[in-house]
Amino acid sequence: MTQTSKSNSRGVLMFAHNNEEIDYFKLAFVNALLIQSHLQLSADQITVVTDSNTLNYATEILGDKIPQAIGNIIINEKDIAFKHSNQRIYKDTSHHSTTLPFYNKNRGDAYDLSPYDETLLIDADYLILSDALSLCWDHNNDIMMNCDYYDVMASRRVKPQKKLNPLGISMYWATVVYFKKTPYAKTLFDIVKHVREKRTYYSNLYQWTGNLYRNDYSFSIAAHMVGGFKNKPIPQLPVKLYKTFDYDDIFTVDDDLSILFWLEKLQSPGDFILTRWKGVDVHIMNKWALNRISDKLLSVLDE
Amino acid sequence: MSTKLTKALEFANYRVTLNNQQEALRAKAEMLLTYSINGGTFSIDRTLISFCKLLIDTEEKEAVLLDVYNNPILVELENFYQEISSRYFEAVNEYYIEYEKLKKARKVHKVLDINDPNQQE
Repeated sequence: MTQTSKSNSRGVLMFAHNNEEIDYFKLAFVNALLIQSHLQLSADQITVVTDSNTLNYATEILGDKIPQAIGNIIINEKDIAFKHSNQRIYKDTSHHSTTLPFYNKNRGDAYDLSPYDETLLIDADYLILSDALSLCWDHNNDIMMNCDYYDVMASRRVKPQKKLNPLGISMYWATVVYFKKTPYAKTLFDIVKHVREKRTYYSNLYQWTGNLYRNDYSFSIAAHMVGGFKNKPIPQLPVKLYKTFDYDDIFTVDDDLSILFWLEKLQSPGDFILTRWKGVDVHIMNKWALNRISDKLLSVLDE
Repeated sequence: MSTKLTKALEFANYRVTLNNQQEALRAKAEMLLTYSINGGTFSIDRTLISFCKLLIDTEEKEAVLLDVYNNPILVELENFYQEISSRYFEAVNEYYIEYEKLKKARKVHKVLDINDPNQQE
């Protein structure tokens, strides 16, 4: 169900399906306000794909504030079998971890679901703290996504996952994807959906590790195929992808929207240093940490 | 723990924090030095600015430049030059101000621009 019809040619698309502990819709709601503030987009240019249970809960919590932040809500019910089969470990720092459903099945449908001619598909936990993604609009490239990412703690030498397997194809990160409604982009998304449906076959062929279905894998395979089986055929976004990990935490967010992170020292688990992060978009992997500061973020954005 | 060791560890933490904040500033400056026009994206640096000035001085009105993706992008030189120069100085001036502030910070709480935890009740 689409509550509002296609009306804008540019916009941001997020997916938000809550699980037992993580309120993804609230993250998307906060991010929608950040997007309006930094990318100068209106609520109508922000679409969230969710399910009716998540939306009912969000309506209880956020009430009539939702339309001010999110102009379009698309209901896409969960595939229950997939929900139960796709579980991953979520960490709230090194001290706490839980296995929870990771519902990411419909991200491959972004092309069909997006009401926009140009779409920025972003994770709800990729906080928009700058106008950098505006660089994508009206770009010559039909699709852009990153295959490199950068740690907010520059000195921490976490070995990045650059390949699907040690001898495999390059890894693309589906955290942020820019695409236009063109036949080329449609082909990529058709392949993403095909990989999703024939998951066992492709996991054997491309040798990704583990049983978890990740969009990063299906987008990487689709990029490899649509790009003529070349290495890194899809151009990267004009912005770098910065991230903190699930073993990091957030101390606070200040009135200028700068975030003080607790970043764990690699050689000394449980030992953290503080870092102030301001004015650069960032992917936050510790969802609890983000949920904990979401009310503070909302109060800052309300002012 | 001996006082010397405590001080050494404090200093190590200060250095790690300082280096990290400097990297954060660089990340922001780099982002501000990226500019998209006519479907292409450019990384603004001294070479690009000088090259555009050279073309303007030879009375060129338009030029095809290679962007960060090595795609050819046609630009109207005068406006492009004005835009990238202005963005360049805006970004590096902001970088300079923040960098100088960091240079003077001798304690972790000053590097992070937070209240001194020892002063709090």
